[in-house]
Amino acid sequence: MVQRLKSWWKSLSKLEDQPVPERDPIVNSSLAIPLALSSLLLMLSLVWAFYEEGWGLRPWRVYQDEFQELFVSALEKKKPVSREEEQAILASSGYQELLARLRQAEESRQSDLQSLEQQEQQIRQRLAILTRPFTTARSEIQAKRYEVETASASSRESLARQLDELRQRNYRIEFPDGPQDYTFGELEEEFNALKAEQGHVQQRKVELLRAPARLQRQLNEYVNNRLAGLTEVQLDGLIGEARGQGIYIRQIHNPEINLVDRCESCHLGIREPVTLTADEMGGRRVFVSHPRPELLALHDPETFGCSPCHNGNGVGTVSVTKAHGKYKHWLWPLFAKENFEAGCLQCHQNDRHLRYADTLTAGKDLFQYRGCMGCHPRDGFDTEPRETREVQKQITDLFAEKQAEQLKAERLLNLGDRAATNEEANQLYADAQAVTLDVAAIDARVDQLRVRADELLLEVKKPGPNLKEVRMKLRPEWIPRWIENPQAFRPDTKMPQFRLSPEDVQAVSAFIWQSGVEGPLDRQPQGNAERGRQIVESRGCLGCHSVGEGEQQHGGNFAANLSRVGEKANYDYLVRWVHAPRRRTLPYCPVHARDITPEDYAGQGLPFRFDLEYNRCPLGDHSLQVQNQNVMPSLRLTEQEARDIASYLMTQRHADAQYAPVPFIEDQALFDRGRFLVRHHGCAGCHEIAGLEDEGKIGTDLTLEGSKPIERLDFALLTHDAKKEGWYNHKGFFENKLRNPAVYDQGKIKEPLERLRMPNFHLSKEDIDRLTTFLLGSQESVVPEQYHFNPSDQRADVQAGWVVVKKYNCMGCHEFYAGQPTSLVDLPQYQGDGREKLPPNLIGEGARVNPNWLARFLENPALSREDVHRNGVRPYLDLRMPSFDLSAGEVQKLVKFFQALSRQPLPYLPVPQEPLTDRELVLARGLFTSQAAPCLRCHATGDPRTDQTKTAPNFALVSERLKPDWTRRWIVHPEIISPGTAMPSGLFREEAARWVFALGRVPGLESYPGDHADLVVRYMFQFTPQEQRRLTGR
Amino acid sequence: MDWAQLWEIVSLPDNVPIVALMLLVPFFMWYGLRQSFATDRMIARLEADSKLAKDHHRKFEPYRKGWDQKVHVWPYLLRIELLAAVVVTLILMVWSITLDAPLEEPANPNLTMNPAKAPWYFLGLQEMLVYFDPWIAGVVMPTLIILGLMVIPYADKNPLGNGYYTYKQRKFAILAFCFGFIVLWLAMIFIGTFIRGPGWIWFWPGETWDHHRLVFEVNRDLPEILGITQQPWVGIFGALATGLYAWAAGWVCHRFLVWNDFNKEIYARMTLTHYLIYQFFMITMLSLPVKMVLRLVFRIKYVWVTPWFNV
Repeated sequence: MVQRLKSWWKSLSKLEDQPVPERDPIVNSSLAIPLALSSLLLMLSLVWAFYEEGWGLRPWRVYQDEFQELFVSALEKKKPVSREEEQAILASSGYQELLARLRQAEESRQSDLQSLEQQEQQIRQRLAILTRPFTTARSEIQAKRYEVETASASSRESLARQLDELRQRNYRIEFPDGPQDYTFGELEEEFNALKAEQGHVQQRKVELLRAPARLQRQLNEYVNNRLAGLTEVQLDGLIGEARGQGIYIRQIHNPEINLVDRCESCHLGIREPVTLTADEMGGRRVFVSHPRPELLALHDPETFGCSPCHNGNGVGTVSVTKAHGKYKHWLWPLFAKENFEAGCLQCHQNDRHLRYADTLTAGKDLFQYRGCMGCHPRDGFDTEPRETREVQKQITDLFAEKQAEQLKAERLLNLGDRAATNEEANQLYADAQAVTLDVAAIDARVDQLRVRADELLLEVKKPGPNLKEVRMKLRPEWIPRWIENPQAFRPDTKMPQFRLSPEDVQAVSAFIWQSGVEGPLDRQPQGNAERGRQIVESRGCLGCHSVGEGEQQHGGNFAANLSRVGEKANYDYLVRWVHAPRRRTLPYCPVHARDITPEDYAGQGLPFRFDLEYNRCPLGDHSLQVQNQNVMPSLRLTEQEARDIASYLMTQRHADAQYAPVPFIEDQALFDRGRFLVRHHGCAGCHEIAGLEDEGKIGTDLTLEGSKPIERLDFALLTHDAKKEGWYNHKGFFENKLRNPAVYDQGKIKEPLERLRMPNFHLSKEDIDRLTTFLLGSQESVVPEQYHFNPSDQRADVQAGWVVVKKYNCMGCHEFYAGQPTSLVDLPQYQGDGREKLPPNLIGEGARVNPNWLARFLENPALSREDVHRNGVRPYLDLRMPSFDLSAGEVQKLVKFFQALSRQPLPYLPVPQEPLTDRELVLARGLFTSQAAPCLRCHATGDPRTDQTKTAPNFALVSERLKPDWTRRWIVHPEIISPGTAMPSGLFREEAARWVFALGRVPGLESYPGDHADLVVRYMFQFTPQEQRRLTGR
Repeated sequence: MDWAQLWEIVSLPDNVPIVALMLLVPFFMWYGLRQSFATDRMIARLEADSKLAKDHHRKFEPYRKGWDQKVHVWPYLLRIELLAAVVVTLILMVWSITLDAPLEEPANPNLTMNPAKAPWYFLGLQEMLVYFDPWIAGVVMPTLIILGLMVIPYADKNPLGNGYYTYKQRKFAILAFCFGFIVLWLAMIFIGTFIRGPGWIWFWPGETWDHHRLVFEVNRDLPEILGITQQPWVGIFGALATGLYAWAAGWVCHRFLVWNDFNKEIYARMTLTHYLIYQFFMITMLSLPVKMVLRLVFRIKYVWVTPWFNV
């Protein structure tokens, strides 16, 4: 074999050894076959090129062909359904009635219409005969006139003569009823007269048809309003349109945002007015209509296009991969199905809660609640510390400015004293006065900023608890166990797992323990655990917290699961915590950057007292942080209730839990190492820690993380694998990082302190998708500023309000929009009749309540300074609206938020109620107390004997709490405002344009001419305590 | 072996011409030389046999007695050229249909691609930047290459070898060309395409182009290695070393020029100008492989360091 190959090669390389042909190959060999063959191939390649040009590079042509066919057949299939529905509507009495009216109107106008049409016909005929000769004559005369106008003096005269001749010429017109002669002037007159008459007749025809046309429109609307889809005629119209569609690139072009989107060249069904599912379109998902037409209605594709929201290469038409941008060179590939809401952030950066974007909103929730924002700066999150710094800086700047202005004023006054003339002096004094006014303005501004600074002290919150209190709060043995692996203790905790060696855990525990403060802690007697359990289940703790483990777990997931609190906590502290969660042991002074001790107070001769009123630093004129920076509110429990709850929580423990002793925890040698580690790992991002209160954030700013060039995302040694496995993109980076934050350290040799610091949050797949969506969307927007959703009207109040609502987890208990889940609604105790015990839903709250009252209520939900252990509005509910100690700014934001949500104007100007006449008073009172009207059966009256059983608010609150127009709507149609409410509907019925009481007889009421609902509303808004006592007979 | 990546590099539309080059150049090399050797043998035969030389005028194989001594350009040459034109057009058509020009992402001035590579025909120049300062590799060398190519017809004093394939009669020209084109130009393109990865680091074919790869390469100047650190001694040493190289290279080139009797004959026909031009270009050309070896094998950066220029 080898031998043969060798000889073959040899013969191949030595030309002489090859056989010599008989005839000269250069002269005699025919090239016809190779030439023909290659020419043929060349032709074929040309055909191929044409094919590529026509279809290969334009796959959308094939799509459009296919779509037309599928679309038409889908519409055809819809027709019978639509026809059936339409038939039902056509047969309905309403339609028939309208139809009859239409027919009648048409018939009554029949004869008039006919005569008009005849007239019109005649005019048209005459015009047809007249027009041609008239326009010919006119153009001839006009041309001649131009000649005369521009003629030289010599020829003008003869031309003018010719013009005159033309004007005098006779035109004979052959009308059907005989010929007629005209000069040009007469001809023109006749023509204009006919035109005018024609217009007149047409006008009359339109007027005649106006009523039938209106009826026809009503008929069409009648059908359209009742038909779910399109009518058969409309479907036929669509079919015709689809059949007539040519094959071309469908392009959206908006030069303002530099947008060219050709997505609809293939996705042809997106904007069709019918719903197209993949099944209807032969299983081709490319042809379905947009799954969220309501979103398209808000964002007109002609303006917004597709790619600003969905990413992908909108210009691409060459292939699916190219158009979707799923190739190496397109930086922003189409968002995956689970992340598509990322696109919303292009414009909706400021919407903390975004309707239609649940995944994205949940991503933002996670970012906030899981404490991502503790380490990572991100616009719109954890803004308070930054604002605090800005406010402080402004105050300092303004103070310097003020001093300069004051000096200037003094100088001007001095100059004025020494001025030579009176005018000069006056001028200088006037200048000095102007400067003094500036100083006053600065003072006012500084005052405002100081107020804001104080507010910020209240508003700033941390995701984690205050670690200064650990010595009082925790058992030391528990701390290292927790730090080592929080999820092992509590699987769904927010606290992430840091990658610490056992020595590091000891050092961190020792530092945390030793840096804690000590303070007086009252010894608390034991409470009743069973009663505590009942309070936890019923008072509203479960709006945020959950209890029970595994399958038993129930309640909200905003705050910690309480199932093992007993293993970690100190009972005495727990009582204090439950009773007053914001209470600090020592106040913190941001200026001195340390906790203020009783000695500091004593040094100034002041009593050691600090709370929201006594919040000035004894060492200087500035405010103290007097609260713990946690969102947990006070439920205004009695001390006994707090003891009961704490006793119950202390029973929440694993009986077999073993904790090793922790001798190292007091080892002072570990303090420095622990402090270093705590700083290194950014613990102070989420916790308040002694000495580290002003620590900055240690993580990357994530505001624009989604548009970071992919090269700047460090895949480290996984780069190559990522490329091979197809996750070398932002989505892949984020998902892997979130699943295992240490993943990009894999295989690298690093010192412990050089390793990636992000701890492991043990996120579920859904949570990873949510956060990834949020991060992917955190891009530099491709659309210009004016497209961003930064409204300047009430919608801005909504945006600002959601931030507060989310911060305090109001949605754990209250429903803000229809269908919003709360933590409570699924609990067994609120099923069936228990629904009445749920907190009020807040849909339409802005329309319901007086904003001034709402502000008062939010400040103090008990609506009382003395009687605090209750709900101000609904004392009958077990659930209690907690006291959040909101800042004045937050209260205002919430009030504006509710008003804006219900589109109520601000400021609110109550309409004064007309005073009741004596007769009306008697009537209204009679209506109220009548056996037929059940008002007092449910509504509280302030009578402690009967209020125990009442399940509706007290009337005494109405006048200051509610808005009269809403109250009227409520008593007339409660079931519309709040479906399923216990408030009975049908109290009033409509009778001759007024509402009258519908349940039984009230003496004298029948003869009352006014509106009964109005009467009741006016009565309620003029309700006095005396009246109430009178009603209840006390 | 990282086959996936090797395939990625080889199949890149940009690199198709280079892959083709790697196959086609050796083939045509062999094809041309086969003809040349056959002709050389025929010349030897004819020179030995004067009788045969009389009726054997066609200077290429195959040949049979009675065939025309010469054939006309039309149609015998042009029809073949037409066929070639059709085939080449066909190849270009298919090529342009199947492989689109790679349009990459929008340029980002803050982010240069890594490795940033010149188009394939300039990759040789880019690779030269590793061995010489930019002003030499990017300005002087390309100018000299063009000038050198222009000078060839004037410097060539060998009258033989026109109109037929021969190796023996143009041994020097062929070898010089093969060295300059294949060894230097093509090899550099090959290195630039397949060997140089991210960071312009040397990756053997099949090694993963890892962006995070770190290599320990300290390049030093020759005087530094020899312990000379002070100017002007460094400059003087460099001048001497470069001069030494020029002398040595000149000597080698001269030996090459007077290799055998045939060459000597050509040498005798050269004027001094011819000779100097020849030496200048040859010495310059030889400096590239020398510098490559110094750099790649001995990690020597510069030989001649002066405050004004480095070589």
